[in-house]
Amino acid sequence: MSFVELDSLTKRFGEEVAVSSIDLSIEQGEFVTLLGPSGCGKTTTLRCIAGLERPDGGEIRIEGDVVTSVSKGVHLTPEQRNLGMVFQSYAVWPHMTVFDNVAYGLRVRRRGRAEIREKTTKALELVGLGQLAERFATKLSGGQRQRVALARAIVYNPRVVLFDEPLSNLDAKLREQMRVELARLQHDVGITSVYVTHDQAEALVMSDRVVVMNKGVIQQIGDPHTIYSRPANAFVANFIGVANLLEGGLLGRSGETADIEISLGPGRPPLRLKAAGGEGARAGDRVILSVRPEDLSLHVHLPQDASNLIEGQVIDTVYLGNFLDCQVQVGQYEVGVQIDHFEQLAKGQKVYLTFRPDHALCLTE
Amino acid sequence: MATEILTRPVEDAPTSRWHSIFTQENIATTLASLLVGAAVILPLFAIILSSFQILDSSGFGTEWGLDNYRSLLKDRVIYGAFVNTLLISSGATLLATFLGVSLAWINARTNCPWRGKLEPFNLIPFFLSPFVGAIAWHNLAAPKVGLLNNLAREILGIKGHLLNVDNIYGVIWVTGIFFTPLVYLFVVGSLRRMDPSLEDSARTTGAGLLRTTLTVTLPLVTPGILSGAIIVFVTSAGEFGVPFKLGAPYGWETLTTQIFTKAVGDDANHYLGAAMSMTLGAITAFFIWIQRRIIAPREYTTVTGKGFRPNLIDLGPWKWAALAYNLAYLFIAVLLPLVCLVIVSLHPVWEGRIIFTDLTFWNYKKTLFFWWPERIVSATNGIVNSFILAFIGASIAMILALVVSYMIHRTKGFGSRLLDFLCVIPIGFPGIVIAMGVLVTYIKTPIYATLWIILLGYITRFFPYGQRNISAVMLAVSEELDQSSRMAGASWLTTLKRVTIPLLKPGIFAGWILLFVIFLRELSISIILYSTGTETLSVGVYYLTNFENEPLTSALSVAQSVVLLLCVYFFRRIAGREALTA
Repeated sequence: MSFVELDSLTKRFGEEVAVSSIDLSIEQGEFVTLLGPSGCGKTTTLRCIAGLERPDGGEIRIEGDVVTSVSKGVHLTPEQRNLGMVFQSYAVWPHMTVFDNVAYGLRVRRRGRAEIREKTTKALELVGLGQLAERFATKLSGGQRQRVALARAIVYNPRVVLFDEPLSNLDAKLREQMRVELARLQHDVGITSVYVTHDQAEALVMSDRVVVMNKGVIQQIGDPHTIYSRPANAFVANFIGVANLLEGGLLGRSGETADIEISLGPGRPPLRLKAAGGEGARAGDRVILSVRPEDLSLHVHLPQDASNLIEGQVIDTVYLGNFLDCQVQVGQYEVGVQIDHFEQLAKGQKVYLTFRPDHALCLTE
Repeated sequence: MATEILTRPVEDAPTSRWHSIFTQENIATTLASLLVGAAVILPLFAIILSSFQILDSSGFGTEWGLDNYRSLLKDRVIYGAFVNTLLISSGATLLATFLGVSLAWINARTNCPWRGKLEPFNLIPFFLSPFVGAIAWHNLAAPKVGLLNNLAREILGIKGHLLNVDNIYGVIWVTGIFFTPLVYLFVVGSLRRMDPSLEDSARTTGAGLLRTTLTVTLPLVTPGILSGAIIVFVTSAGEFGVPFKLGAPYGWETLTTQIFTKAVGDDANHYLGAAMSMTLGAITAFFIWIQRRIIAPREYTTVTGKGFRPNLIDLGPWKWAALAYNLAYLFIAVLLPLVCLVIVSLHPVWEGRIIFTDLTFWNYKKTLFFWWPERIVSATNGIVNSFILAFIGASIAMILALVVSYMIHRTKGFGSRLLDFLCVIPIGFPGIVIAMGVLVTYIKTPIYATLWIILLGYITRFFPYGQRNISAVMLAVSEELDQSSRMAGASWLTTLKRVTIPLLKPGIFAGWILLFVIFLRELSISIILYSTGTETLSVGVYYLTNFENEPLTSALSVAQSVVLLLCVYFFRRIAGREALTA
């Protein structure tokens, strides 16, 4: 039995299905991120766990207690679940001081004065706001408000802390800093966390496991490395980082590699390429070859070892400081390549792309 | 660098400097500020001076002194009026605040059925005349002729009367229910647009629904509630029609009814009236100052840009109680008074009971048919005059408001801040006080006893309302849109015509209709400044209630209310739901 369990959770808004029968198990102390584009159902899932939305189907259990079950007719209110939540807009109450904001949960729980003072002070020190306890929330910066919201959510030691895109209102620099800080804090406190974001970098940096969602359905669950290097399908491959996706047919498999034939359009000979993956697919199946821009090598002259070779013409190059982003026309496809050596590439120039088979992935549809 | 090169030769040429002063922009804005300054400052100055002049026993000469203010404390009637004013304002404020906040909360934050459809009806009293409300409630609940009391006697068989509104409680009751929308409008916006995660975070932190409402929701809207309450207090203190109908005839004088008797009565004494006006004005100005300087800046910005659906509280079976409460308000504030007026207006004489055989349209003919020889001239005059005043007044006020808003928000420096301040002053003083000021200022000029003096009073008192309507839109429209037009080579006037005004159209229309409505029902300025031939609609109602009978009064009241309700309908069509909160 896992610490938090979602059983075929479903939520509709009118006709639209926001969350479509998802299953998810979260272990104690784990940091799980729900990742996906806006409207994918990640926030709705989180709000169902919090008790702020009432699901239309399925069950949620925390520590074995049923907190929501449509079939059993159970729906605990948010305050009955003993969770903590950090909101995107921080939702720090402007009519209270920092101290009162953080102490709120303890006061609601009728703790003694001494305990409230001690725990609140400790929580504020933990997030680095010990000096600002008596300040009003309106006098704080965005980053400071976010710390208040965090302290407020963890001070009463809830069973799970839920994060709803907490860093998306911060500027880029601060966001990166808070990312690391938040991950470290979660690790130190060891509190079970469910984190919602649309920022893949955030998900990869912070999480023990990432749950990629799209259109209300879970696309893949895995640790950050697996999600990035072994995406389960084209959506995940393209959402996590950038991937060139070339459609083709599977010719056959040998060991760990798949032979793929990719048609480049009328009047052009098809490409034959090798890639990892493709388990379960049979010869003749439609597959997608996914290869990331940074895994492609660009050559001006025809390379010696000409396996996995793609020929194309330079469309355009974009200078991005530490690397060059080059678009190459390959038949009907525009393939992106990232190169860190700065050759002079002219538009329309013929170039050769190669990649290692184990750096590309054959995805079934 | 480029600008330096461009501007230097211009500064060297003296003729260009004159050119740069006499721009379209400067001429228009200077004229507007002079006009506003004169309109606002002169009456106040005159009223302050007059309040220190004492009428001698002959009734012609005056001398300087403080006797007018002494009589405020010594004269038992005036002192009583002062106390009554405070009691009525406090009572009405409590009632309106309770009703306004509870209705706003029900409509904005609960799952009360039909709340969206009921909201426009909840606001209707805002547009109607409280004076007419007082007349209606007099006919409903006066001891002898009250319809409800007669029904109680007939159906319940009780002796005497069930209700009596002809006293201070009646004044509080009618004032309170009519000013409820003022509080409502101050609160409902922030309740509706409040970031729901502020409450969600209280819930996830462990607070229940009740605790969340009491410790998070209500404290966050408290500044709005206080602002609304202060506006009700000030408006009630300056209200003339309700105490005139329900209070003064039964021995409950207020400062406004006393100012009225000193301004136009047989023992008219403008100087004593001015002193009472100053006292009333000092109180209201003080409260408005508190509202704008201390409370308004403390309002919390709880709105986030993100379009979340607001969290609605599931009241369970109590939602039907909430609906009943809402309907009850509509019943007592809108339906019951209007129905009663219609009933009374169809009787030749009103004795408190419906007599079906006697029903007639005679009263409408007498009061509305301005071509009919047997008409009551004071009533029919009022209709024509009020439409003229409302149309011209709203138009002039909105033009002034446009120029003034432009100056406040699009030009910088001392002038714009001074103008902003000048626009607040009329809001701080009740209409009757401004009217006293206008009266003593212009009594010896040719405009005295014409429609123009009433028009001047209307515009002086109410153009800030139009100005705030435009300012709200102007703040939302980026200044860069104007500047782009200037960069493209258009002059200031062309920019105003082609860019600024079209963008502000919704605000201008909304403001125009709002002022049109206010002017159509205006009583306390008109009553001080009118003379024979320049009666307004509400003065007509006043004339009928004072010198004719209740059915005739009711007929004109019904006509006025119908016109006002039509305006409300157009107002909503043009301005949309949110426009009122400005």
